[in-house]
Amino acid sequence: MDPQHIRNFSIIAHIDHGKSTLADRLLGLTGTVAARDMEAHSQVLDAMELEQERGVTIKASAVQMHWQAPDGEEYELNLIDTPGHVDFGYEVSRALAACEGAVLVVDATQGIEAQTLANLYLALEHDLEIIPVVNKIDLPTAQPEEIKLELAALLGGSLDEVVLVSAKEGTNVEAVLRAIVARVPPPSVPTGTDTPLRALIFDSHYDSYKGVIAYVRLQEGEVDGQTPLLMMATGTKTLPVEVGVFAPEMKPVRVLSGGEVGYVATGLKSVREARVGDTITSARNPAVQPLVGYQPAKPMVFASFYPAEADDFADLRDALEKLQLNDAALTFEPESSEALQFGFRCGFLGLFHMVIAQERLEREYAQDLIITAPSVAYELLLVNGEVREIHRPSDLPEPTLTVEVREPWMEVQVITPNDYLGAVMEIFRRKRGELLLTETLDTKRVLLTFEVPLAEMVVDLHDKLKSATRGYASMDYTFDGYRADDLVKVDILITGTPVDALALIVHRDLAYERGSALIRKMKEAIPRQLFEVPIQAAVGGKIVARVNVKALRKDVLSKCYGGDVSRKRKLLEKQKAGKKRMKMLGNVVIPQEAFLAALRLD
Amino acid sequence: MRRALYIHIPFCLRRCTYCDFNTYVGLLPLRAAYVEALEREAVLWAERSPELQVATLYFGGGTPSLLSPDSVARLVNVARVRFALPADAEVTLEANPGTVAEQQLRALRQAGVNRLSLGVQSSHREELALLGRIHSWAEAVSAVAAARRAGFANLSLDLIFGLPGQSLSRWMETMERVLELEPEHLSLYALKLEPDTPLARRVAAGELPAPDPDLAADMYARAGELLQDAGFWQYEISNWARGRAPAPEIWAVPPAGQSEQISAWVAQHNLIYWRNTSWLGWGAGAYSWFQGRRWSNPAHPRAYIAAVKSGELQRVAEECIPSALEMGETLMMGLRLAEGVTTHRFRARFGLELSTQYGDALSHFVKLGLLSWDAERLRLTRAGRLLGNQVFAAFLP
Ligand SMILES: Nc1nc2c(ncn2[C@@H]2O[C@H](COP(=O)(O)OP(=O)(O)OP(=O)(O)O)[C@@H](O)[C@H]2O)c(=O)[nH]1
Ligand code: SF4
Ligand SMILES: [Mg+2]
Repeated sequence: MDPQHIRNFSIIAHIDHGKSTLADRLLGLTGTVAARDMEAHSQVLDAMELEQERGVTIKASAVQMHWQAPDGEEYELNLIDTPGHVDFGYEVSRALAACEGAVLVVDATQGIEAQTLANLYLALEHDLEIIPVVNKIDLPTAQPEEIKLELAALLGGSLDEVVLVSAKEGTNVEAVLRAIVARVPPPSVPTGTDTPLRALIFDSHYDSYKGVIAYVRLQEGEVDGQTPLLMMATGTKTLPVEVGVFAPEMKPVRVLSGGEVGYVATGLKSVREARVGDTITSARNPAVQPLVGYQPAKPMVFASFYPAEADDFADLRDALEKLQLNDAALTFEPESSEALQFGFRCGFLGLFHMVIAQERLEREYAQDLIITAPSVAYELLLVNGEVREIHRPSDLPEPTLTVEVREPWMEVQVITPNDYLGAVMEIFRRKRGELLLTETLDTKRVLLTFEVPLAEMVVDLHDKLKSATRGYASMDYTFDGYRADDLVKVDILITGTPVDALALIVHRDLAYERGSALIRKMKEAIPRQLFEVPIQAAVGGKIVARVNVKALRKDVLSKCYGGDVSRKRKLLEKQKAGKKRMKMLGNVVIPQEAFLAALRLD
Repeated sequence: MRRALYIHIPFCLRRCTYCDFNTYVGLLPLRAAYVEALEREAVLWAERSPELQVATLYFGGGTPSLLSPDSVARLVNVARVRFALPADAEVTLEANPGTVAEQQLRALRQAGVNRLSLGVQSSHREELALLGRIHSWAEAVSAVAAARRAGFANLSLDLIFGLPGQSLSRWMETMERVLELEPEHLSLYALKLEPDTPLARRVAAGELPAPDPDLAADMYARAGELLQDAGFWQYEISNWARGRAPAPEIWAVPPAGQSEQISAWVAQHNLIYWRNTSWLGWGAGAYSWFQGRRWSNPAHPRAYIAAVKSGELQRVAEECIPSALEMGETLMMGLRLAEGVTTHRFRARFGLELSTQYGDALSHFVKLGLLSWDAERLRLTRAGRLLGNQVFAAFLP
């Protein structure tokens, strides 16, 4: 395809503003997906079972469309739908690097929200042409004209550039396509026939037949299924199985050329050999310089994933490696815990990211997991002058060995209606947050900038904010820096033995409160056993709180006659299966929920 | 091998608030057709297995006392004629104290019923009301008297404890009063809140306090002491029979050819369940355990009647029980008994040693004090009786 007739663009927005629904309409309008398949389910690009169930996009997904523009010319449009949730910002930024334009969608009933801004700035960093779209104009509470004004002001553009649509009803969607063709620049591809291939891997997944499937944006050159390829960063050579485009399923094509977006089925079985961010070139005529890759994502939240059965450790490693191909922000390293034996300390961009990774491991890779409560990375200044980062609370050394314990602080942007200002401030106050700035957005809304420790945010800040503002507030955050504070380790002891996987680091002023709240929650989660189980919280080796799980006295069915055998047996089998998701600490059985009790403190 | 025969009577006048049994209110008009269906089922069984012999007969429900004595007589007769039920065999009928008149009891006795199980449940008006029982304590007392006059020498009474809000002393009052009725046999059941019953809903809604399992454990222990002093033998987790425990040798190795009957007042029918031998269940929703398979009849009386009429009684939830599972079930049932699971019976049945089959689990629970294990047999300890589930699960494959 002549690059002049190619347009590469992403759809970006705040969560739920209708990106995937707009993508559906574009797919329909261009005939990429038949109308009949469209009816069967909506948000076609949310192909993952989890995405359909939750109604949320988790993965960016690419699709190629062909459209005959009013000028009679045919265009190849490569669309990348992106997720809106903060935790998946890394997905968005990688998608943007493969595009020349971005459709910025804003919900006409909500207006500009925190991720609208965050994603817009990302797109501007990549020098993308922005097509502003106001969506959901069919809703009775829509305020398309006001939002159009806001958007034009934000972008410094003219009102005429803003396209008003209803993605759901398909109103005016063709105007989006026209704007893309007219305003998004075609990819710039150097002319000359023997320019060596350079293709940026912006995503990937693992296929058991075709190996690692690399999602690529070709900068220049050509790739076909016959020529050997070279992964520039790893030096791996391979003869690909096939090349193709997403339509939206994988559809093999003879050749992909400069400016296009598609995939290369590399045939590589080892997931380490084709990394997201690497450049693919031709093995016979290699390029000299790789393309600029991606900054690796910096995980902020850490939790341990252990196989429910110790034997499944290798299996879990394999699953994590494959998942990482498709979730480039995920990090993991093996660790061992006295309590839980062998597992992995995994890093995530946020709690939602963690939950999604867990669910994908369970569903797509059939893993049975025990997961510990998430914590953040701490930076230590040791007495010997060394600065060290730790990813789990149990690694915090004796207070005498540290000069400073520093925790990550975030800068948080909150957009909220004026009415909820007080409630929002109160939430942040309780999370040790500090208000930096208040800006008026319009007559009804303000933009607040806070600084808050990440550790306080991880647990439930987002939920709290949503419920306190009846869903009206939105937030975005970026890492601000490490700050020293009076942070102490709270140890949790079960039958007198500290359990490393349960330790937490908190501000000294909150240590007693959090420690005793945690053991109370644990008490609810730990089933009664054949003996009494004391649970204690200790700060600096001193017990500050204690609860007991009383010994079980009665666990038997009174009535069991001939007709009860099957039912009763199944009950026992269920009880037994339930124990599989539990870990033995000494002779105490601890269920998964107990390890996550720290998430449910209030 | 003689088997147990159970006949299910799925009719009640009103549903009790805790009940999730397979029983129906308002279907009394079906009674005649239902009894006819039972007789047909008997014929189906007899045709299929002409050699079949039964050792005991039990009418359970529901409320079997809603059947006419005449119907009962016909069914007892079928068991005798077609399935060789011995003349002195135990024939039990469950009766609701609110549904029995002396006249009827006499007729039932005539019909061949020789053991009556009365659902007394409580001696307190407010508890009976909470449970939604249709009878009063006074009616229970007069039902016992009437049964005695009608010639029933073997009376069993059912009681429920651990009700929401029930105190220990309130429960012990019921126990004392019930002992005054001098039953031969008692079944004490801890209340279990079954999902979707009115009682469970009231507890879930916070209208009633949730039953306290520790208090129930105390009630169980106190009742057990009282009964022991009163000369009862606890031969199963929830069942007591008048008389002393037999000498252990009797269970351990019964001399060849001798009956395994262990005490006059022990429920012989239920003993077959707990020994996991084999039983036939006739009637709606009744389970059979026969030749390695277990299944139930269609649950609704109408479905059951229709199925029998069609001559093809389809089996619901049929399971083929492989040997490893049968062993587990045999322990799950057998450990409920004071006699436990005897080595010789296990060996005779499965050709395996308990110790080789379950060695690790055995020593684990012996160490925890829940099981006692000697060369003769495996039993729950006193402490283990209330924690049976913890033990049983370990033996299931
Ligand atoms: N009424 C109306 N609802 C819409 C419109 N567009 C999208 N929606 C609804 O808005 C919700 C979110 O739509 P999605 O397309 O999943 O939004 P998204 O931006 O892709 O969401 P994330 O990928 O999770 O960030 C869905 O319930 C859609 O049906 C519209 O034009 N009108
Ligand atoms: S009498 Fe028995 S079977 Fe009938 S409803 Fe009450 S508890 Fe249930
Ligand atoms: Mg989406």
